[in-house]
Amino acid sequence: MKIIESLKIKEKEYIEKLDNGMTVIIIPKPNLDKKYVIWGTHFGSIDNRFIMPKTEEEVFIPDGVAHFLEHKMFEQPDGTNSLDTLMAMGLEANAYTTNDHTAYLFECTNNFYKGLDELMDYVQHPYFTDENVEKEKGIIGQEIKMYDDEPGWKLYMNAMDCMYKDNPIKIDIAGSVESISKITPDVLYKCYNTFYNPSNMIMVVCGDFNPEEILEEIKKRLVKKEEQGEIKRIYPEKEKEINKKYNEVQMEVSTPLFMIGYKDIEGMADKKEIVKKHIAIEILLNMIVGKSSETYKELYEAGDLLSTPDLDYEFSDEYAHILISGQSKNPQKIKEKIEKIIQNYKENGLNEEHFNRIRKKIYGDYVVEYNSVGDIARMFLADKIKGINSFDYIEEYNTVTKEYAERVLKNVFKTENMVMSVVNCKQEK
Amino acid sequence: MNYNKKEIKKGITIHNIATSKFKTNLFAVFLALPLERENVTKNALITAILRRGTQNIQSQDLISKKLEEMYGASFDCGIEKTGDNHIMKFYLEAINEEFIPEKEELTKKCIDILFDIIFNPLLENNGFKQEYVESEKNNLKQIIESKIDNKRVYALERCIEEMFKNEPYGLYRYGYVEDLDKITPQNLYEYYKKLINECKIDIFVSGTIDNEKVNHMIENNEQIKKLNERQARYNVISEKTNQGEVKEVNTVEEHMQVGQGNLVIGLDINFQNDNSKFIASVYNAILGGGANSKLFQNVREKESLAYTAGSTYKRQKNVIFIRCGIEIANFEKALETIKLQLTDIKEGKFSEEDINNAKELITESIRGISSEQDTEITYYYGQELSDNFVPLDEYIERINNVTIKDIQELANKTFIDTIYFLRD
Repeated sequence: MKIIESLKIKEKEYIEKLDNGMTVIIIPKPNLDKKYVIWGTHFGSIDNRFIMPKTEEEVFIPDGVAHFLEHKMFEQPDGTNSLDTLMAMGLEANAYTTNDHTAYLFECTNNFYKGLDELMDYVQHPYFTDENVEKEKGIIGQEIKMYDDEPGWKLYMNAMDCMYKDNPIKIDIAGSVESISKITPDVLYKCYNTFYNPSNMIMVVCGDFNPEEILEEIKKRLVKKEEQGEIKRIYPEKEKEINKKYNEVQMEVSTPLFMIGYKDIEGMADKKEIVKKHIAIEILLNMIVGKSSETYKELYEAGDLLSTPDLDYEFSDEYAHILISGQSKNPQKIKEKIEKIIQNYKENGLNEEHFNRIRKKIYGDYVVEYNSVGDIARMFLADKIKGINSFDYIEEYNTVTKEYAERVLKNVFKTENMVMSVVNCKQEK
Repeated sequence: MNYNKKEIKKGITIHNIATSKFKTNLFAVFLALPLERENVTKNALITAILRRGTQNIQSQDLISKKLEEMYGASFDCGIEKTGDNHIMKFYLEAINEEFIPEKEELTKKCIDILFDIIFNPLLENNGFKQEYVESEKNNLKQIIESKIDNKRVYALERCIEEMFKNEPYGLYRYGYVEDLDKITPQNLYEYYKKLINECKIDIFVSGTIDNEKVNHMIENNEQIKKLNERQARYNVISEKTNQGEVKEVNTVEEHMQVGQGNLVIGLDINFQNDNSKFIASVYNAILGGGANSKLFQNVREKESLAYTAGSTYKRQKNVIFIRCGIEIANFEKALETIKLQLTDIKEGKFSEEDINNAKELITESIRGISSEQDTEITYYYGQELSDNFVPLDEYIERINNVTIKDIQELANKTFIDTIYFLRD
């Protein structure tokens, strides 16, 4: 097992690539009562077209399959549901689907190995029938409707629509009522057999474990599966431009919601740089409109912002963008202020004292992530799917210099790549 | 036990939680007052004004700058209802000194900043700073009005409001827009002084900090020294429950532009027993506690009527809220299915396994309390407000002692009080 240690935060990571191609990551936390395991497959909502390694058949799938599959994995031939079985043991069990991965997890203090038996059993044994697939369409249909009523989700999807013309990030994770109506057991099995092969999966455990022991426990629960080659994923060609500058819809909200996006055209072009770039972007966003920034102070005092906006950088091989979002009576003013301060930073450079202070803050934010077994495990999985080691954020933070951040500012925060999505209040008649 | 408390002045208590499970130290100060219609808005407004600036650190951005310098220490405040109390909560979290790259003393800085924010506000003309009061009034107005934004939360708030009409617990924790006009920087400051003199003050310190050292720092803090002893005015939360009367069911329907209906049902538990709250916890877990619960299994899984279906037990008020997100046309059918579940429990149509699952669900969450710093603080604070201190292990034991008979008895004394439905 490979061991990586972070001296700064006194944590160790054990990594092993098993013979069947699966990656196991163990982060021991000897003084915690809670244990957490998460098993993820590199299959998310954006993976809608691919070539099956064994048959070389090219497959197009309806929107929402990864999420549908996640729901259906719990169902067992004897009519039981593995989620219930895990919960019955008192475990906090769940699953989720993102743009680029699907994950199955549980957290507990007792009964860890009983839970691991069940988790590894149900993820390795799919059971899809015409009948159980039909029934699930009703439940997921309700879930889709729940999202449709959520202004925050609309805001996000519209921001994606502004930045991208043809990109799988625009696919709704749950799909639509129409798209999921086309899902059949055959589609689900094809996806399962392709993406749930061990070579496409990562397991992360965090808690009071002896790394060697837990690794053996995992290995002995694995079903032998044939090696498969690389999955070829087919995505539309990346566009160099944005789709449109602005999108606005009306919904029942008390104060408008805004999301400003900067499409990052160069994205993950250089994988080695991505962590450094990510840190720089987080520092920049905090300098632009974070808690102590001049912009935030002015907007807050004028009543245009009630709290600091959410600041995000989302990226994968297929997309990369910065998102600044929040609620304001005056989204246009937020946009102007942000553009102005970015212009100012570009022309005059960053203030050294301000930069150093925010970099310290960002370091603190990274350290706090190591407070809970769940946060740690989910972070290591999500980063690993992108090919990143989470410790790198802690190790790299002080290699990001003011000059480096200034370069990132110029390359990424480009006016022509800026978009805005707004959810406005319904006009009373 | 890793928990100790010390009353430093009458009505002012320090609680120390020694734990090495976290990378952070967490400091919290809670001010408790009775929930009262005439004060809710003022309490919410004061919480917001205090974080704007102190006599030593005069503005929010200066406070933020100080915190950023301390490796991104984070300050947070909020206002909550706990039983019939209104609680003003202030938190400061900072990385444990062990994990910062350079040697630096953070604990004293944290204590000084936190107390400065709460007890030493920036003043002018015998009142709070006018500019801060005005801007926080506007913000609070927006917060109160934003109640409608999250439909699921809104529906629950509305059901609580209906169920506790004209009672303290029915008050909205952020207060009411119509109160704002009457508030001036001066009359608000007068009220603040009274509040600080009368409220119950609890100070929590969690992390790897030497108790004696930190308590000494706290007791010698200038702001703490200024505080008087007090006969704290707050509502003790009783472990005992009452045999209330059965009321007619109140059905409320509200229309908004929504695609999905939100159904919330408030249940009253009219059951008297020394263990009533523990029995109610298990009852609630069987009814709607998790994926094994009757609501989840029957409303969601079997009938496909809802995406969400579950229930929550509000221990301090001894009531249960059932919450479902349903297709609007399915209202009648969902209600019928839910009522059937209530009847089934009354009639004892649940298994030994159901009880064991429910107990496991609750005890597992109790065992997990010490793995989350703020949850652990919240647990001990709940005990502090209650008339009966229950340590974590006793809590688990009392849950495990609940019997089928207990649950059935309680189920037969549990009634629907309010049915609230948010639809198109």
